[in-house]
Amino acid sequence: MEVDLSPLFEQYPLLREAATAFAVIFVNFCALVILIAAARERRRGDHRWIKEGKGYMLSCGSECYTLGAAEILIGRHPCADIRFDDKEISRFHALLTLSNGKWHIEDIGAHNGVIVNGVRIQQRCRLHQNDVITIGKRHLTVIKGVI
Amino acid sequence: MAKSSVKPISHPFLLLLVLIAHTAMMVLVVLSFGVDAEVIKLAAAVLSADLVGSVILQIIHREACTVDTVLLLITGMSTIYQSCFGGLEFDVKHFAFCMASFVMCQISYAVTRNPYRAEKLKPLWYTLFFILVFCILFLTGSRGIWIDLGFITIQPSEFVKPVFVLICASSIHTQLKKSEIAGFHFVPDNLMLLLCTVVIAGLQWWCRDLGSLPTFIAAAGCAMLLRFCYLREKVSLRLIVFLAACGVGVAIFAWKLAPGYVQERLHSDIWADMSSTGYQQVKALTAIAEGGWFGKGVGNGTLIHVAAARTDIVFSTICEEWGLFTGMMTVVLVLFLPGAILTVPPRSYYHSGLALGVAAVFIVQMALNIFGSCNLIPFTGVTIPFISQGGSSMLASGILAGFLKAAQAPVLTDRQTQKGGK
Amino acid sequence: MAYRTSKRIQRVPSHELDISAPRSMRRAGTGTKLLLTAFSAALIYLAYVLVSQSAAYMTKSGKTTYGKVLDRKGDVLFDGTQPLSNYPWGQFADVGNFIGDTSGQMTNTIVARNSSLLANYSFSYGNDGTTVLETSLSHAANRAVYNAFGSKNGTAIAYNWQTGELLVCVSKPCVDITKGYADIDTMPSGSLLCKAFYPTVPGSTQKVSTLLAAYQYAGAETINALEYNCTGEWTNATGDVIKCHQSYGHGNQNLVTAFANSCNPYFAQLVQSDIVPLNDIINAYARMGYSVNDSPAESLEMNGIVIPPASTVLRDSHQFETQWGALGQGRTLVSPYQLMLWQGAIANGTGCAVQPGLLTAVTKSGGTKHSLQSHKLTDQMFSSAAAQSIQKVMTQNVQYNYGALQPYNCGVKSGTAQVNDNGRQYENSLLTGFSLDEQCPVAFCIMIEERESWDVSTGQIASVLLSTLKENL
Repeated sequence: MEVDLSPLFEQYPLLREAATAFAVIFVNFCALVILIAAARERRRGDHRWIKEGKGYMLSCGSECYTLGAAEILIGRHPCADIRFDDKEISRFHALLTLSNGKWHIEDIGAHNGVIVNGVRIQQRCRLHQNDVITIGKRHLTVIKGVI
Repeated sequence: MAKSSVKPISHPFLLLLVLIAHTAMMVLVVLSFGVDAEVIKLAAAVLSADLVGSVILQIIHREACTVDTVLLLITGMSTIYQSCFGGLEFDVKHFAFCMASFVMCQISYAVTRNPYRAEKLKPLWYTLFFILVFCILFLTGSRGIWIDLGFITIQPSEFVKPVFVLICASSIHTQLKKSEIAGFHFVPDNLMLLLCTVVIAGLQWWCRDLGSLPTFIAAAGCAMLLRFCYLREKVSLRLIVFLAACGVGVAIFAWKLAPGYVQERLHSDIWADMSSTGYQQVKALTAIAEGGWFGKGVGNGTLIHVAAARTDIVFSTICEEWGLFTGMMTVVLVLFLPGAILTVPPRSYYHSGLALGVAAVFIVQMALNIFGSCNLIPFTGVTIPFISQGGSSMLASGILAGFLKAAQAPVLTDRQTQKGGK
Repeated sequence: MAYRTSKRIQRVPSHELDISAPRSMRRAGTGTKLLLTAFSAALIYLAYVLVSQSAAYMTKSGKTTYGKVLDRKGDVLFDGTQPLSNYPWGQFADVGNFIGDTSGQMTNTIVARNSSLLANYSFSYGNDGTTVLETSLSHAANRAVYNAFGSKNGTAIAYNWQTGELLVCVSKPCVDITKGYADIDTMPSGSLLCKAFYPTVPGSTQKVSTLLAAYQYAGAETINALEYNCTGEWTNATGDVIKCHQSYGHGNQNLVTAFANSCNPYFAQLVQSDIVPLNDIINAYARMGYSVNDSPAESLEMNGIVIPPASTVLRDSHQFETQWGALGQGRTLVSPYQLMLWQGAIANGTGCAVQPGLLTAVTKSGGTKHSLQSHKLTDQMFSSAAAQSIQKVMTQNVQYNYGALQPYNCGVKSGTAQVNDNGRQYENSLLTGFSLDEQCPVAFCIMIEERESWDVSTGQIASVLLSTLKENL
C-alpha cells in the first residue's frame, strides 16, 4: 500500500510549488465563496427577519419606523431606536419586543404612560395590525409593511 | 409571506468547496509524504468529517451557514497542519478535539440561540463562573492553571472565557432594573460584571497566567462600552478623560506591582539572550524567515522541536512549513468567524453583546499569540483559537463560535410561552 | 437582488423599507469592525516587519550562509559557499585582513561589516547560494604589491581618484584565511587588522598638511617666496634643537627645495615665524579631519569599515612639541587611508576628494543585481587653490628625487616616521602621492615598517603599484 513519491519532487522541481499554489488557491477560493455566501445570507437574513416580525412597522404621520430588532426602545434618549425629542416623552419610555412572532409593547417607567387603543397599559401588551400607540402627543399606528 | 427571492448559496455546495479545499491540501501532503497508512488515516478523517458535518448541518438547520462552514474549513486545516509538523503522524487527539469543538458549537448554539432564555439563565452563568474560579483556586496545583486528572489535563481558565462572555452580554431590560442602596443608584448586573472582572483579573494575576488577563479585560471593556452606549445621554469628554485617567492609573499600578518576571519580559531583548528567555521567539522568527512566502515544504520544519511549537508559537510553525502566505491566510480565515456578524447582524441586545465579547476574546487572543511570538509585544502563552493544539482551548473556542452562530440565527420564542402572553 | 427587494415593498410608498438592525444594535458590529481593522493593520505591519527583517534574523541566529566576493576581474577574494581550505594556500594571503571572513575573528573587515549584504538569503527566494559581491579591487596588483614588500611589513593603499574605486589595499603581515586560526597565538602581531585603516605616525608626509594650511592662510606667492637657512640643526625660541636628517645642512632653500629635501628646520621655522598663525593651522587641520588638541572629529567610513580620524597636538607655535607635531612626529597620528584621501583631493585639484569605495555591485539570491557605487564627494577639506599649488610642488619633488616614477606623471611626498613603540624605537618609511596619468589616475599611500637603508624602498613599491595597476585597469 505504501508508495514513496519523494522522487517526484526531485524529478520535477516545480511540482512542489505547483501543489502548494494549488492548495492555496483552492482554500482561497473557498474563502471567497464563503464571503459571497455570507453577503447573500445578509439579504436572506433580512427577509427572514421580515417574516419573523410579520413586517410590522410603526407609522407616525408622514414618518414610518421599521422594527429591525427584537427589542426596540422608544424614548427621548439619544440612544433610543425610535426617538422623539418631546418633553412629554420620558427618556426611556416604551420597549417593543418580539417573541414567538408576536410584537409586544411594554411601559418601562414612562411618566405619562403608554396608551394602546386609548387604554393605558399596566403590563406587556400584544400589538396587532392597526393598533394605535399613544406616547405623549404622538400617535403611532401599527401597520403591516410587507406581506 | 412569499418565499425569499434571494437564493442563498446552498449549504451542500459550500461544504463541497470545503471538501475540495481540504482535498487540495491533502494532495500536497500526499505528494510530500507518499502514500502510507498515516496519510490515508488523515485523509479519511478530514474528508469524512466534512461529509458528516455537512449531513448533520443539513438535518439540523440550514440558516447562518457562515460560522459552520468556516469552522469546518478551519478545523480540517488545523488537523492537517498539526498532523504534518516535522513529519507525518495523524494527530488523533487534535482531530477528536476539533470534532468535539464543532459539537460544542452546536450545543452552545442550542443553549444561547434564544437571547431571552440565555439571559434568564444568567444566575446559572454566575454560578458556573464562580465554580470555575474555585476550581482554579483549589484544584489546580499551586498557582497553576491546569487540573491534572491523570489521563487528561483540563485548563479551567479556558472555560471561564465563554462563561465570562455570557456574563458580559446584557439586554436593555436588565440595564433598566436599577437598585438603590444608601441613595446610590446602580444596576445590579453592571455591579456583578465589575465584580466578576475584578475576581478573574485578580485570579489571573495570582496564577501568573498573564496571557489570559488582556483577553478578559478586553471582553469586559467591550461589554462596559456597550452598556455605556445604552444608557448614557452621550459620552461626555469629561467621562472619557476620567476613564482614560483610570486606565492609565491602573496600568501604572499594575506595572509597579508586576512581578519581576513580567517586568523582565517587558524589556528583554531576545537577540541578546538567544539561549534562554528569547529562545522560543528567536527560533520562531528564524523559522518564518527560513520559510519565506511558500514555506520549506510540508513536514520539513525544524521548529517543531522547540517547546510550545504546536501551541504558543504555532503561527511560526505553520509559516515555516507552509509559508508566510498560508499562515496569514489561516489567520484571516479565523477572523471570518467574528467578522460573520458584520453580514448578518444580531437582532437583540443580548446577542450583540455576546458577539462583541467573542470578537474581543478571539482577536485579543490571536494578537497576543501572533504578535507575541513575533516579538512585537511581550511573549505570553496563549493559543490561537482552533489552530493551536489544546483540548480546553479548543472546546472553549467551539462554545464561543456557537454564540456567534446564535447571534446570526436567533430564535425568539420562549418568553411568550413561559409568561403565557397577555 | 436589491432591486427586486425594493420592488417587493412598493406597498409602502411613503417610505423605503429598511429592515436592517437599528443603530443601537449595530454598535456590536462597529466594535467588531474596529477590532478587526486594528488587528488586520497590525497583521500587515507584522508581515512588513517579518519580510524586511528576515535577513537580519537569519544572520543573527547564525543560520545563513554567505556568497562570494570577487575582484574587478572576477577573481575570488572570499568564498562563503565552500570551505576556504579548498582554495590553495596563499590565495587570500594579500587580502585576508582587509576583505576578511565570517569567522568572527576580525570585525573591521569588508565581509564582517557587510555580512547582511553578503548573506545568501532573501525572503522570496530563500537560500540558493548565489550572492556575489563585486568589488573594484585589482587582485593582481594587490598581490604584486604584497610581494614587493619582500620580507618587510607595512601597508599600501591606492584608489582611483576620478571614480573612487579602491584598487589596492595591502597590510602585511596578513593572516592566511585558508589555514584557519589554529595558530592564532603564534601569528605575528598585526596579522588580523588592516593597517591602512589605523592611525600611525605620518613623518614628513605631514608636511603636506602643514603646507596646505600655509597656502590657504598666507597665499601661495608669500609661501613660495619664503627662504630659510638650514645648517643641519636649528634651535627654536624655547631653546630646543630640531635636527635635520642631512647633518651638514641644506643651506639656503626656498619652499620647493625644502619640500624636496624634506627639511625639518625649514618647516619648523615656518611654523614658528607666525606668518601663518597657529590658530589658522589648527583650523586648516580641523577642516582636513584632524582631531586637534583632543577636539572631536568624525571617524571616516568606507563600506562599513570604520577609520579613526587623524589627531595631533598643537598648543604653542614657539614650542618644540608643536613644531615637532607639525612635522609629523611626536603625537601626530594619521591613517594611511586618510593620507591617500587627501592626495585624491590634491590630484583632482579641487580640495574635495571622491569618496573611496570598494563594493561596486551585489547580486542577491534570485539573480537581481544592484549597483553599490555612489559617486559621493567628501566635504571641502582645503581650498582648490592650495590643492593646485601643492600639486605642483609635489610633482617637482618627483622630478628631483623619483626618476622611476616620472613616467606616471606623479607627485609624491616621502616621510620617515620616528616610532616609539613602548620604548622600542624604530623608523617607518612612508610615501604618499598621486598619479595624473590618464590610464591610472590613482592616489596612494605606502608605508614600510622598520625600514633600513638596504631594504626595499617605498619608491620601488610605488613603481610596482603603478605599473601593475596600469596593466590591470
